[in-house]
Amino acid sequence: MTFDFVEPVVFALLSIGVIAGGAAVVLLNRITAAALLMAFTFLCMAGMFVLLGAETIAAFQVLIYVGAITVLILYGVMFTKFSDGPRALLFQRQTPIAAVLVAAVAIPVALLSFSFTSAPPRPGGGDLPALATSVFTDFAFPFEVASVLLLAAMVGAIVLTRRDDPEEAAMRRRR
Amino acid sequence: MTVPVGAYIAVSAVLFFTGCAGVLVRRNAVVILMCVELMLNAANLALVAFSRKYGSIDERGSVFVIFVFVIAAAEVAVGLGIILSAYRNRPVVNVDEIHQMKG
Repeated sequence: MTFDFVEPVVFALLSIGVIAGGAAVVLLNRITAAALLMAFTFLCMAGMFVLLGAETIAAFQVLIYVGAITVLILYGVMFTKFSDGPRALLFQRQTPIAAVLVAAVAIPVALLSFSFTSAPPRPGGGDLPALATSVFTDFAFPFEVASVLLLAAMVGAIVLTRRDDPEEAAMRRRR
Repeated sequence: MTVPVGAYIAVSAVLFFTGCAGVLVRRNAVVILMCVELMLNAANLALVAFSRKYGSIDERGSVFVIFVFVIAAAEVAVGLGIILSAYRNRPVVNVDEIHQMKG
């Protein structure tokens, strides 16, 4: 008995999870539920990375997206009021033109995406050695630039959200 | 690998267009950030799929996925900072009503 049917079945379940989660994020009015469903979408995406054999990327996905970014977004939801205006953009006069333009781009992309045929499977062993070799040889300079970008983003986020409270400044001066 | 690469690309395209529709349709700034994250993740799936199926030994595509992770994290941090400081100025998150910087 072979287990060739397992991979397509797992792929189908994961793709249903990804697409349904993404649609729910767009459609749901309750923002907390949308944020949690976004985390679910990211988890399903991590499963797809495992299915593709990119285990390291899947681990990063869980750590960064499901861990960090979802928590940040949830904090953003909690600090702001739950309100969403009417979705007036959907029904405008430009809708037919926009639909034609989107179809002109999306249909060729969709047709093209089914024209790829698979290359022969590669030997196993995980993707970490190849990934690490690439990052620390050919991509060492972009890697350092990315770390500087993260530092700049961290400082920028602190500066943007710092509160310039006059009372607090006066209290500090008195001390 | 019995699942063809086209199936992964199709899922990636569907998720990308879903996120794109969300960015265009939703009015809440936090939800727009979430939809941008969905689009970035869809791009990641396409990168990993092509890298695993067609790439040579050294996994170039997956390296770019790591850089996309970095950009996404920085984008969320700075984006939420901007949303929160705008919200503190005037308590709205509806992007149609945030027009103070319009010339």
